[in-house]
Amino acid sequence: MADIRIERRDDHGLATVMARKGVGTDAIGSALGLLAPARPGRHAGDDGLSLIGIGAGTWLALREAADPFWSDGLRDRLAGLASVSDQSGAYVIFRITGAGARTLLQRGLAIDLHPAVFGPGAAAVSAIAHIGVVIWPVTEGGGYDVAIQRSYANCFAHWLDEGVAAL
Amino acid sequence: MSRLGQGGLIDRDRPLSFTFDGRRFTGFEGDTLASALVANDVRLVGRSFKYHRPRGILTAGSEEPNALVTLNAGARAEPNTRATAIPLFEGLEAHSQNCWPSPGFDLLAVNQIFAPLFVAGFYYKTFMWPVAFWEKLYEPLIRRAAGLGKLSTLPDPSQYDRDHGFCDLLVIGGGPAGLAAALAASRAGLRVILVDGDTRFGGRLLSERHLVDGMAGADWTARTVAELASLPNVRLLSRTTLFGVYDGQQYGAIEHVADHCTASGAGQPRQRLWKIVARRAILATGAVERPLMFGGNDRPGVMMASAVSTFVNRYAAAPGRRAVLFTTTASGWSTVFDLHAAGIDVAAVIEGRAGGSEAAREANRLGIEVVRASAFHVIGRQGVRAVALVDAAGRKRRLTCDLVAMAGGWNPSIGLGTNLGARPVWSETLQTFLLDAAPPGLTAAGAAAGCWALGDALRDGVTRAAEAAEALGKPLAARAVPACSADPAAISSLWHIPGKGKAFVDFQHDVTTGDVTLAAREGFVSVEHLKRYTTLGMATDQGKSGQVNGHALLAAKTGRTMAEVGTILSRPPFLPVSIGALVGHHRGTHLRPARQTASHGWAKLAGATFVDAGLWKRAQWYARPGETDWLQTVNREVRMTRGGVGICDISTLGKIDLHGPDAGTLLDRLYINSFSALPVGKARYGVMLREDGFVLDDGTASRFAQDRFFVTTTTANAAKVMQHIDHARQVIWPELDVQATSVTEQWSVFSVAGPRSRQLLQAMFPDIDLSNEAFPYMAAMECRWRGRPARIFRLSFSGELAFEIAVPARHGEALVRALCEAGRPLDATPYGTEALAVMRIEKGHPAGNELNGMTTAADLGLGRMMSGRKDYIGRVLAGRPGLCDPARPALVGLRPRRPDQRIRGGAHLFSPHVLRIPANDEGYVTSAAWSPMLESYVALALLSRGPDRHGEVIIVHDPLRGPEIEAEICDPVFFDPEGVRVRG
Repeated sequence: MADIRIERRDDHGLATVMARKGVGTDAIGSALGLLAPARPGRHAGDDGLSLIGIGAGTWLALREAADPFWSDGLRDRLAGLASVSDQSGAYVIFRITGAGARTLLQRGLAIDLHPAVFGPGAAAVSAIAHIGVVIWPVTEGGGYDVAIQRSYANCFAHWLDEGVAAL
Repeated sequence: MSRLGQGGLIDRDRPLSFTFDGRRFTGFEGDTLASALVANDVRLVGRSFKYHRPRGILTAGSEEPNALVTLNAGARAEPNTRATAIPLFEGLEAHSQNCWPSPGFDLLAVNQIFAPLFVAGFYYKTFMWPVAFWEKLYEPLIRRAAGLGKLSTLPDPSQYDRDHGFCDLLVIGGGPAGLAAALAASRAGLRVILVDGDTRFGGRLLSERHLVDGMAGADWTARTVAELASLPNVRLLSRTTLFGVYDGQQYGAIEHVADHCTASGAGQPRQRLWKIVARRAILATGAVERPLMFGGNDRPGVMMASAVSTFVNRYAAAPGRRAVLFTTTASGWSTVFDLHAAGIDVAAVIEGRAGGSEAAREANRLGIEVVRASAFHVIGRQGVRAVALVDAAGRKRRLTCDLVAMAGGWNPSIGLGTNLGARPVWSETLQTFLLDAAPPGLTAAGAAAGCWALGDALRDGVTRAAEAAEALGKPLAARAVPACSADPAAISSLWHIPGKGKAFVDFQHDVTTGDVTLAAREGFVSVEHLKRYTTLGMATDQGKSGQVNGHALLAAKTGRTMAEVGTILSRPPFLPVSIGALVGHHRGTHLRPARQTASHGWAKLAGATFVDAGLWKRAQWYARPGETDWLQTVNREVRMTRGGVGICDISTLGKIDLHGPDAGTLLDRLYINSFSALPVGKARYGVMLREDGFVLDDGTASRFAQDRFFVTTTTANAAKVMQHIDHARQVIWPELDVQATSVTEQWSVFSVAGPRSRQLLQAMFPDIDLSNEAFPYMAAMECRWRGRPARIFRLSFSGELAFEIAVPARHGEALVRALCEAGRPLDATPYGTEALAVMRIEKGHPAGNELNGMTTAADLGLGRMMSGRKDYIGRVLAGRPGLCDPARPALVGLRPRRPDQRIRGGAHLFSPHVLRIPANDEGYVTSAAWSPMLESYVALALLSRGPDRHGEVIIVHDPLRGPEIEAEICDPVFFDPEGVRVRG
């Protein structure tokens, strides 16, 4: 049996944060109490909120377990600074851990997952088997969180099954 | 049996049985199919492509042109596989090709009689008359005779995988130069990937008797590989063929994971496609030995000298009992002594170089005759029986032998280095073509760079590794070069020796010296023309053995030097790549990803039939038990919806959040109508144009706050509209403060439509006033459902009183189940895309078929929506005379004179008494359906001057599918023309 565990997670809060005109990365970060990434990467704050850089002036805000109206609160904190759209329903997050996680995901990803270049604090927007993914390393215990748009989730799960069988 | 009693790198404790052409043989672990055949005295392995001449094994490597077999049977069969590159495995089944009934007795050998007709370019000069014979006789005959090998035509049962590699240094080839380079670089801490196509590393070291660092080449290799395998920064990929060099310093390779087994393990891929990105790369692919061109050089028993050494040293298989060697290189002499050491008789050595040598003197001491020949040819048809030569004194000699080894020089294997277009240059000293301008980051090393001698190859590998490490800022601490035994490397060229019989240049395509001469005489003097005219170098071996010989002959016949003649480039793949490996996971239903809505699982259980809408699966209809025909189901869904209430999943439509202080301004510039003044809590239908004035898409935009709009698009154009909006706000008007993001995946949306829809909505939202006064047509609100965010829109595509409910997609399935549950007492029915289409056609709503990229807003009857008071994308070009021409086809409805006559989409429209020719074509049908409400077929169409012709009769002309139909032109809104139902 390959050393790999796959968990489908669906209780997170996610939201798109897009800076308004003239608002810099620092201002966004200050308003949220953390350092907003200025390039692809993920920075976590103390209160369980993290920001993943996914484009110029664009982030995915992530909270592990969020109430259904969490993005309203986020929008209030960022009033005048950024536009916020709830994306909690848009993604399913696959948490892939174990010794085989990196091998499995490297087979699908055309970016380098070596810990020296993709360690804690890293994040990337890429694709696996023509399915868009947002991927970042899990902070504790190793492994990766892979966010997949909900409509592709079953298709992605099939790719994972075939990949695990080939490990 | 020709298996030598001792020696070789085979494992004599692990015998393997295999079959070739139905006969059973035994080999050993470590054999290739070719070496096992040699050891079993199988000399005849197939027939040549054109002339069906008997052929044997020529080489011991992947450049093999003759020993092409079909490996495996049934669905795993792989034609044109080189026996020299197939590792032997238990139960291997192989068949010869291009001969029937057997290699020994081949009926198509009759082709040889017609040989004079089949010279180069014969297909440009023959089969031309009579013209009528081409289609009926010549082409079918040629097709049957053409091609090499047969496909199984069965579905491929194997799985194929992908992987991605990243490294500082990619070493292509695991011979001495490659191993030395990989070792030096990895010891300095570089990330190294070492790739070799063979089952084990070592290259020439496995085939020769040289010592490295005082031990046998194979032992030094094993020790080096063990050290490399122990390092965490090294990835070793044996059985992996690097097939191409691409832009961006990317390299393609195929790992033959399970090709050496009869079947893959469960889940295991048969092959794996690698894409490797390397900051630096070393091409240590060695060199391919050049044949000599003399009469009969294609007979079974004629082999490359290095191949003879390989079979004897690596596989302990003797390719013959009595050998004659013809050499123009120092390396050819090694084969003489390898044969002698193995106890195989050497009748004579033909020395092709000028002057004497230590090797010749040594041979004489061993009793081996050394002669020179001014003419030479092979005697024998199904195998070598003797050679005939004219010696230095002019005497004719005949030497009995069954093996002729030829050593004509070396061609560095630099094909990969020319993938990006750099032509190799001729080296007079090395008598070969070398890589000159290499792809970025790539250098050749070892024999691939002309370092023939083993010591030079080892040193060159280390040097190139040091250069790469230096360039990457991680210089090597030491440059230790392994010592090795002496390896003289002198080389000279002879190319062609006169004599009787056909002398072959390209073995696989049966191109002879006569063909090259003919081509030169006919004016094909460029190497590129020579290649295409004679087909030299166009077979599966891509001219690895024959190309340069052909160029030398061309040079001689046209009075030019090799440097002037040049050589051709190589294109990927360097060796054949199976298409399955390129396809990987994406086959059958997995060709593209499939997108499912949140209600997909529920819909399946409810009996839905699905249709593809782009990547989406959408429920097309929901058949109930007892319904036998899709039309029956669809009609029922329409009647139940228009008579009661229906539920439809419309989640696939594009959805975009458009936020920011200038969101309204941007919408004004995108839509033909105005949105900046839209009140909060309201939705509005809008149309977007392309810059050229044609309709891009339509949808609705709702306002939830001063700075928050919610825009919908059609399913098909979701991505296109998102790009359009992003382009507008990022490129055209970056001064606007507006942000946009797709929320298509965020929301599950259902349309609830029909006279009882309000009752159903009210049951779902008991605390919200959904009366017509409180929530009129085109209202939009944010609210809650079961404590979660929700939205309700009063929008209708069906023309019925209708609402759209949206919840975060996480709760989409729960919502649809709740809707069905609450809808039970109201006799609610789910309905799919077919019923949806029928209803919108009944209401004359333009949709995808009408928004086909060739229609304007005016064509679709939406001209009045175009604002005269603001500028918007497409406004100017929409005003072109051609787009305002009243004769343009415009939207109308059509009703057949007889209601049961089916009008079909795509049919063309003609006035009754004109010829049915394109000049009289007045338009076409865009959408058609059976209307259960009107109990008639109806259609929407684009007809020239259509809106002015209501009441006229038009002919619906559909010659491919049925007879003509008379139809009446009418208003496209067939049902509820006053639009009363939607405002209820």
